[in-house]
Amino acid sequence: MRKFLLSALALALVVTAWAGPDNNSLIVGTTQEPSDLGQWNGSADTKENALGLFFLGLTYFDSNGALQPGLASEVPTGANGRVRISGSGDSSRQEVDWTLRADANWSDGTPITSDDVLFTFEVQTNPLIPVSSTANSSKIEEIVKVDDKNFTIVYNTPNLFAVNPGGDIGLARFYDVAPKHVWEPIFDAAVAAAEATPASAGDIITQQFIGAAPATAAQGPKVTSGAFVMDEWQPTQFLRATRNNGFVLGSAKLDFVQVQFIVDQNTLLANIINGTIDASDDIGLAGFDPDELAAQGTGVFTVQVSASGFIEHLNLNLHPECQDAVDLQLGDKRTRQALIQAINRAALGPAVFPGSIVSTSFVVAGDSGFLPETQEAWPFNPAAAQALLAQLGWADSNGNGVLDRTTADGRFVEFDLDHVTTTAQFRLDTQAILERDLNAVGIKVIAKPGPGSVVFSDAFIQHASQCSWSHVFEFAEAAGIGQSPFDPLSKQLDARLIANAASAFGGNNVGGVNIPALQTLIVQAENAFDTAARAALVEQMQQIFLDELPIIPLYERTEVITSKIGLKNYGKVTPLTKTIFWNPWQWEWE
Amino acid sequence: MIKFIARRLLQLVPTVFVISIILYALLALKPGDPIDDMRRGNPNFTQADYERLRALYGLDDPWYIRYWKWLARAVQGDFGPSRQYGMSATLYVFQYRLPNTVLLSGLSLLIAFVIAVPLGIYSAIRQHSIADYAITVLNFMGVSVPIFWLGILLIYVFSVQIRNFLPAGGLLTPGVSWPDWNTIAANSGGGLLEAFSLYWSKALAVISDRIKHLVLPVAALSSLQLAGWTRFMRSAMLEVVNMDYIRTARAKGLRERVIVYRHALRNAILPIITLVALSIPLLFSGAVLTETVFNWPGMGTAILGSLLNNDFNVSMVSLMFIALLVLIFNLIADIVYALVDPRIRYE
Repeated sequence: MRKFLLSALALALVVTAWAGPDNNSLIVGTTQEPSDLGQWNGSADTKENALGLFFLGLTYFDSNGALQPGLASEVPTGANGRVRISGSGDSSRQEVDWTLRADANWSDGTPITSDDVLFTFEVQTNPLIPVSSTANSSKIEEIVKVDDKNFTIVYNTPNLFAVNPGGDIGLARFYDVAPKHVWEPIFDAAVAAAEATPASAGDIITQQFIGAAPATAAQGPKVTSGAFVMDEWQPTQFLRATRNNGFVLGSAKLDFVQVQFIVDQNTLLANIINGTIDASDDIGLAGFDPDELAAQGTGVFTVQVSASGFIEHLNLNLHPECQDAVDLQLGDKRTRQALIQAINRAALGPAVFPGSIVSTSFVVAGDSGFLPETQEAWPFNPAAAQALLAQLGWADSNGNGVLDRTTADGRFVEFDLDHVTTTAQFRLDTQAILERDLNAVGIKVIAKPGPGSVVFSDAFIQHASQCSWSHVFEFAEAAGIGQSPFDPLSKQLDARLIANAASAFGGNNVGGVNIPALQTLIVQAENAFDTAARAALVEQMQQIFLDELPIIPLYERTEVITSKIGLKNYGKVTPLTKTIFWNPWQWEWE
Repeated sequence: MIKFIARRLLQLVPTVFVISIILYALLALKPGDPIDDMRRGNPNFTQADYERLRALYGLDDPWYIRYWKWLARAVQGDFGPSRQYGMSATLYVFQYRLPNTVLLSGLSLLIAFVIAVPLGIYSAIRQHSIADYAITVLNFMGVSVPIFWLGILLIYVFSVQIRNFLPAGGLLTPGVSWPDWNTIAANSGGGLLEAFSLYWSKALAVISDRIKHLVLPVAALSSLQLAGWTRFMRSAMLEVVNMDYIRTARAKGLRERVIVYRHALRNAILPIITLVALSIPLLFSGAVLTETVFNWPGMGTAILGSLLNNDFNVSMVSLMFIALLVLIFNLIADIVYALVDPRIRYE
């Protein structure tokens, strides 16, 4: 009996000390769990991170932000003749030749071939599959198989990849290839079942394909191209991956990696401080003060902070159809210039989102480097704001502290500014600061927070032209990803994408931004393949944006990650992408 | 009585039907659907994508058409998939969530009851003593302290300050899973006794790990119920001990222990039992704050998550299940009333 109890005690101690450098493993903590690990739908950060354990793209970014060949033997460029652009304007066409590494195999030993690439494309373009966007795949005209290891992707638009390999990271890093021999039978069966029962097609595809065992906790990715293979996935708790010894870039340094899901940020932090969690991802500690974290982590973990490319901004209702917005003259740039100068943005960002950076950009990410001097644009200047508002005919005629005016049709209007946003604490804090700052110049802010699922519902956010939200909607968007002039431009500035009755309320330009000079440049930039020419266009766009201010940028969020002392190569932030990519085969303990 | 039960059971059918309509309508009329979530998460999302996916999921139908389609499948036991997790919504709720909630809430309820009753009695029979005042103060603290704050405090003390004395949330330690007898038997290489010993030593380690993970959330959750029930027990007991029949019992010279436990407690505990019985449906609906702070995947966070993420099928399964439980426990309560109280008769 004594022996029995001792062995039980020993085991209990062993399981408590399961992770860490002692057994060459790593536990990463995050607050979100991916719903599935299929390579077809969705691109939440958590999922992309976890997918990085199991799948390698055709290319990947190294710690210096340089694009490196992953499954491909070489990064296609214009110089090596693998990227060819022909035609111009709408008739332009682009071809990219890829060669898969000869020794690239799935973890079960099956070679990775062009057939896997073609199959992945077939799935992504099948109308029955709920791929969250066909935008990338729809730009692909066709994929031509040359042989088992060579294929050519033909695009119907040149604004992808271009001659700059960093031109579209969506194509490079995230173009995952799925194992055809695993998925094809599942796909065929699910599609056949859905076609046989069209009324339940969505549910059938969700359950039989999206929710199929190789993508979910029932099994997870057991056949992978990445550094690890799924070992166990306990829903809501953790997923554990073991090393794939046949990984094409060389075996990972760690034996195991475990991703621990802890929904509450404070609980996650407690686990980091007490040493249970070795590292945190870029989502888990968002909004925490990096300095405080560093103080708490002394001797235990280090803190890395980076700009995220996500710009918190005030989206203004510029739709001429919305009378409430017209009454406040939001369509006049002087009103917008008055608003930005009335807000003490230098104080706001750090107060609500510690570590954030004041941003005055939106065309591409905040510190893109195109207009470094514009970081100082529109400093806090309430007097200038008041002067502009006075120019527009606003005055406090009844002495109640709120500006008012009489419209051309004789109506009395007060400057009551609706501020819609989600109920996240940092946004509620922002509302309080905006109330204080704007009240000081005679603008009364009416806070209208709501749950994200409500305010971001199609019926709400897309219908600003019908005054579903009348004045200001605060949210965040990754306007661009980084410093490359080939970054995608903000779709919120593109007049072709205005969400109104004419577009059936579709389109990403929810505020109704329509600035002809900006629009001309956007169209020109789509067909500019020369890096310098495109950079010049982006710079001009930025200048116009800063003058017109169709959107008021507040601050760029920062990402905070922690890693236990002794952990190497974890959580790199590339200068090119600013996004933290998981290259887990490089993680190791000192 | 049998007629009454049969009638009430029959009444359940239209009641459940009406509840399902109301729930479905509320969920369907709430702004937002899964396709909105996709649009929000992807700036490349096109209007064509939006319309294609709405048609694929049948979301372009009016809500009452969607309800009939849902009902036609639900009566056959098919509540559809969880759009968030890809698996059957029923499986997700009953396999991955409900057992955790029953374990956490059940233990909390049990511990609170076992402690609250004697504490309430003690407090009542020692009314105005220092112990009574101390218990009262602690009870008020228990009722007043927000559970999320208490949870964080417990984690801070027992997991951060006393480093890793108890785990800071979660169901189990990574790497710990129930042993597989066949593997152990095959690898033991020795006799059955050795395999059996190894199996149970591993099983004991799992049980011990599970208990370690339960301590803090159970302590936090039971503290609230404990405080409330102790107050109830004290009040009920005080009311009874001042009644004439207790005075009579004392006058007869009965021992205090007999008076308290045989005469007073039997009457005083009736309202507590009612209170506990009414808490049983709560046992299945989860405790959102406790589950969130302690990373305990239960029904509370499942329902909240499904509502926030527009996972309609999971919301419907969870809410319908709870509604059904409430109806059933109401019926059971009515039956029990009739059994214990001779004044109540059902025709």
